[in-house]
Amino acid sequence: MDINLMIDITPLLVKAAWVTLDISARGLFFGFFIASALVVLRTSRHLPLRWLARGYISVVRGTPYFVQLLLVFYGGPAIGLRMDPFTCGVVVGAFNIGAYMSEAIRGAIESVDSGQNEASRSLGFGRFATLQHIVLPQAAGLMIRSIGVLAIILIKNSSLVSIISVVELTYQAQRLIGSTYKPLEVFTLSALMYIVIIYAVMGLVELLYRRATRYTFL
Amino acid sequence: MEFDFSPVITYFPTLARGIGATLLIAVVVALLSVLGGQLVAVISIFTRKAVSWPLRFFIWLFMTTPLLLQLYFLYFGIGEWILIPAVAVGVLGLGFHYMAYNADIFIATIKSVSHGQYEASRSLGFGHLATLFYIILPQAFYRAVPQLGNNMIIMVKDTSVLSAIGIAELVYRSQYAISVTFRPFEFYITIAAIYYLINVLMESGQYWFERRAANRR
Repeated sequence: MDINLMIDITPLLVKAAWVTLDISARGLFFGFFIASALVVLRTSRHLPLRWLARGYISVVRGTPYFVQLLLVFYGGPAIGLRMDPFTCGVVVGAFNIGAYMSEAIRGAIESVDSGQNEASRSLGFGRFATLQHIVLPQAAGLMIRSIGVLAIILIKNSSLVSIISVVELTYQAQRLIGSTYKPLEVFTLSALMYIVIIYAVMGLVELLYRRATRYTFL
Repeated sequence: MEFDFSPVITYFPTLARGIGATLLIAVVVALLSVLGGQLVAVISIFTRKAVSWPLRFFIWLFMTTPLLLQLYFLYFGIGEWILIPAVAVGVLGLGFHYMAYNADIFIATIKSVSHGQYEASRSLGFGHLATLFYIILPQAFYRAVPQLGNNMIIMVKDTSVLSAIGIAELVYRSQYAISVTFRPFEFYITIAAIYYLINVLMESGQYWFERRAANRR
């Protein structure tokens, strides 16, 4: 182990780790809105809208994230979609994780006993008021945990964005392995950074989970 | 903005070879990761800490870092010391990655088999290893089938990442065809459809296999 080299490359890797975090955080943020829209479509009264959402979710979950990324980045210009690599990573990440997240949100909502919904409706709450005040608070705990798992998957998937030349952690690691010929040192440091990011996310999820389930008895 | 799918038809033999390579890699990796995962799980449960802790550390390491980083490390790192072909690196890298995930599942399912099974088997005269092999592991395996199926479906999608270290599977072949024909959209849409088809077939296979496994549980 070459400690001096590891100290030298740390600033570069920290900067790259920040890009990884940035791209994942933005992807998660926009992905949440896409997921919510998909949930609304999937529970819509109109059959074509439900089919549209189901088809979209099925196709996104059935094709590799890597191919989606290549399709949008290299194939996008053919249909008038021109984006810089970073934006492309955020957009594809959001649309990809949105499909998975919509299933997680739907699962959490369906896990709430249907009697809660019926009782609330019979007490005079409307459809959305029931969702807002009765169902979502009870679904929140499970939802936060499954979104946390997806956030970690998104962070690990963000390494694939290096293929379209976004300088994030994996790209930087590969470049440093190429220039220093010290794979073990570079791998140790970059793996450590992924681990730190993932454990930070896990801690945050646990914190939010405790906050969301303060008043629920589980 | 006009589409021309005729190059895709012209280059379909190239893509077909890629599909063959993808499926072959997927089968080898599936065997490696399920059998290896079983072995790693058994070793990490039934041996002393000096053996099991390093194994669990590697399971943890493979699960917390991205596949591509592991592949780069194996490809450029191992290449420093010995010269092995990229295909071997890819299969082993993907195999180890999913071995870790499968071992994690097997550890949980082996522990979920009731201890009474072990005691009953020992009192009927089976030895320790015979009990493991004939009594515990079959039960653990059938319990693991749904999650193993999910992992294998994700794994087939992840074989596309192997193109990054130059393995001539489906994505790599299509990239070659694109470099000749300059039709990225058409080719990537086509291979996305191919992956989707493989995925749908695997999901129905999983459904069939799970029903069979449920009968044996």
